[in-house]
Amino acid sequence: MFKKLSLFSKLSVLWVGLMFFFAIAGRLLPIADPTEFFEVQGAGLFSPGHILGTDMNGYDLFANIVVGSRYSLLIAIFSVGFGSLIGGILGIAAGYLRGKTDYVLSVLFNIFLSIPNLILSLVLIAVLATSSDPNEPASETRRIIVIIISLTIVIIPILGRITRGATLAWTSSEFVVAAKSMGMKDMMIIRRHIVPNVLPSIYAVAFLAVGIVIVVEGSLSLLGIGVGNGTSWGSMLARAQGDLEYAPIALFVPLTFLGLTVIACNQVGDALRQRLDSRESKL
Amino acid sequence: MSELLKVNNLDVRFDTARGVLHAVKGVSFDLKPGESLGIVGESGSGKTVLSRATMGLLTMSTAKKSGSVKLNDVELTDLSRSDLRSKWGTEMAIVFQDPMTALNPVRRIGDQIAEGPRIRLGMSKKDAKQRAIELLKMVQIAEPEKVLKKFPLQLSGGMRQRVMIAIAIACNPEILFADEPTTALDVTVQAQILGLISSLRKQLNMSLVLVTHDLGVVAGHTDKIAVMYAGEIVEMAPTKELFSNVRMPYTEALLNSIPRITNQSGIRLPVIEGRLPDPTLPQNGCGFSARCKYATEKCHTERPQLVDGGNGHMYRCFFPLGVNK
Amino acid sequence: MAFIATGPFDFFCSWLFVSICYRLFGGSKLRKLNQTLQAFTKLVLVLLGATFLLSLIVRLLPGSPADFYTNALDEEGRLAQIKDLGLDRNVISGYLHWLFDFVRGDFGPFFMSGGGTRPTSLIISQAVPRSLLIMLYVQVVSLLISIPLGLITAYRADKATDRVISTALFTGSAIPGFALALALGYYLGVRLQMFPTIGYVPMSEGLGEHFKHLVLPVISLSVPLCASYSRILRTEIISTLRQDFVTMAVSKGISNSRVLVKHVLRPSSTALITTASLNMGGLIGGTVIIDQIFALGGMGQQITFAVFARQYIALQSYIALIAVAFILFTVLADALIGVVDPRTKNRNV
Repeated sequence: MFKKLSLFSKLSVLWVGLMFFFAIAGRLLPIADPTEFFEVQGAGLFSPGHILGTDMNGYDLFANIVVGSRYSLLIAIFSVGFGSLIGGILGIAAGYLRGKTDYVLSVLFNIFLSIPNLILSLVLIAVLATSSDPNEPASETRRIIVIIISLTIVIIPILGRITRGATLAWTSSEFVVAAKSMGMKDMMIIRRHIVPNVLPSIYAVAFLAVGIVIVVEGSLSLLGIGVGNGTSWGSMLARAQGDLEYAPIALFVPLTFLGLTVIACNQVGDALRQRLDSRESKL
Repeated sequence: MSELLKVNNLDVRFDTARGVLHAVKGVSFDLKPGESLGIVGESGSGKTVLSRATMGLLTMSTAKKSGSVKLNDVELTDLSRSDLRSKWGTEMAIVFQDPMTALNPVRRIGDQIAEGPRIRLGMSKKDAKQRAIELLKMVQIAEPEKVLKKFPLQLSGGMRQRVMIAIAIACNPEILFADEPTTALDVTVQAQILGLISSLRKQLNMSLVLVTHDLGVVAGHTDKIAVMYAGEIVEMAPTKELFSNVRMPYTEALLNSIPRITNQSGIRLPVIEGRLPDPTLPQNGCGFSARCKYATEKCHTERPQLVDGGNGHMYRCFFPLGVNK
Repeated sequence: MAFIATGPFDFFCSWLFVSICYRLFGGSKLRKLNQTLQAFTKLVLVLLGATFLLSLIVRLLPGSPADFYTNALDEEGRLAQIKDLGLDRNVISGYLHWLFDFVRGDFGPFFMSGGGTRPTSLIISQAVPRSLLIMLYVQVVSLLISIPLGLITAYRADKATDRVISTALFTGSAIPGFALALALGYYLGVRLQMFPTIGYVPMSEGLGEHFKHLVLPVISLSVPLCASYSRILRTEIISTLRQDFVTMAVSKGISNSRVLVKHVLRPSSTALITTASLNMGGLIGGTVIIDQIFALGGMGQQITFAVFARQYIALQSYIALIAVAFILFTVLADALIGVVDPRTKNRNV
């Protein structure tokens, strides 16, 4: 299956794989301590000892990228995972049951979708991550959980609407009508006929959603309400933004990694979708 | 009289995922000014591809064309795309099978008819509109001024096909290709449309290539008939000659499958058993041999050539009907 | 409604009016009216839902706005102020009060630190025209670039030209807008000093400066849009090119470019119109980051500020306005699609 992919798709798969490797085993790699201040500040690419250079604080950028991938990807995977699961279930329910359920769920999806996703997550995070004493910032774990929850809420209606559409199409297909006419139970039809057919489109969109979430996380960090303190790519951006004139590299390194990962995720999603498309059209 | 259109050994292949699809196999025919030719064959026999390839309308990059098409002694296959384009509309025009899909759904009827005269004949906007009204009258549409402003969706199937004919004859073409012009229509409308095409042909002194799967359709409207099977012409003759002396077993089978008023009710129409050979596979023997009730060993192994049986009657069969050897 | 006097919004309002009239009275059938009403109910439901949801969420913000903005006053003054501002109401009654005010064009108070308020509509009247203008520029630029790109890539589908442009577009669609904004801001703004990187200059203070200040934000917002628009258009055009009516148009002997523009573009543009309209709401309020990076003072920046400063009544009004805009543009797009593609009018929805 891998062999059939285009070169661009292959590279994308490899890149996503590498990032996952960083996220899982990053700390075991022989990298510098991401929190250590080095003497060289704002060193360029390929400086001795610092392959991607250092920022104005003297932090090693490569070490920070590797460690930062953990939170960036963790947040993306958890929120997209939960979001797809809940959105998928709701979407199937809306598309299969139709009628009132569909009406209520569609209105709900549209309510969430009518609020731009960054603003929605901004408000949610502001609500959830603020402790009652404004002077004491919330703990890091709590912030991550809050970000994941907020982004999950953002993802649910996106996935929900797409799943609903796909389910609607499959529910009216002949084999489902046939199964219904033979008295098959609804749960059985959903499990046997709907889920296997809808799942591929959920996968494809989920990859795109990973890209969206990584971008939103970066945006949130730039606004100052991300994970904080250089522990994700977004927060690296936020930290480097102020030193732009002195150490642009500190900005461009995380920007490149973030951009490439988003592109790779989109490409993988696109390749998945195209495979599905061709399968449908050839039948 | 010299020939208006001369098609010689025209051959079309498509590169497909399943291999090379040989759609048209060395077809030759010619057409005099004002003459009409019916091309008959079942679906998949290559008749539509033949008509489009003759016009040069096959644009797919997978299509490979060889042979010669001469219009007024100009070799069309050598022409550049833009030279070829200058022949379309003014010298050759085409009427498609389904007017629903062949009329642009988002443009008004008037614009679609006037486009040809305006762009190709350089008419002014006003003249082109006048021409459009005139054309709509020619194709017997009532209240042409109203129809001009409508969208295809607002017309009935028969009306749409009339509009399409109006578009095709808008620039006075010398040849009209009609590709199954009545297949998508109701039976009652079919006869009207065929009648219209025939009368327009006489009125405008056009040549006509009428492509259809229905022998009954071509019978009253064409001077000669070519029967196609699996990408080849298997029988070609003047219309009267063909119907009185059928030579090819395939044509006979086609004729037998037409319902007749004299048929006893309750009788099953004879159908042609089997199906067309796979056009991606190379063929030994006669293409129809597998379905032919007269087929012998020779038919399966040797390819018959198109032979002239006199009276302009050509057929591709070792054992033609009504001829004793 | 102070801000309605501003140019573009005026224009959009009359456009809305025309389109609603069109929808209501264009088709004479009762079924059509019924459909329109149903769709309208759904939109109103969405609007109410979105604002109520927000008021609910914002209510959960720890530390009430009352504490935040009245702590400088003594106890008596504080209570008076709270009552005055209606901060003692419960969620439902508070929401209904807000809704009633909002419908009448009163967008509620904006609390000043240390007590006192000023009307939110003042802020809105400054921010909305900016955001609308930026949105307009971005949409115009994106459409102007993406339509020819879509045509070229579809016409030359799978040839070298298409591959190169399509790959570039794919990459472009995946680059986050803020990445572009930061990179462009650094190179063109800081390094080359070609464009200012901060602030907004209204048209009245010089057209040249106005555009100069908007070049970088508009580019940053347009590139991802361009990319996705061209891709959508390409897909649609490729499927239109397979239609019989295209062969029919070709057989008239007219040039390929005329076929593409006159026969292919229009029936292929419905998806593009829908997408563009869906982006409108997002472009007005969702450009939070770009607004912030270039300090444009548009709705995005105001929203961020309102979130951090717990201006929940103002926030509710902002979001409601954006949701209204979102819905408005959806209706407009529907009307436009009806004009562009008569097929959709007869489709049973």
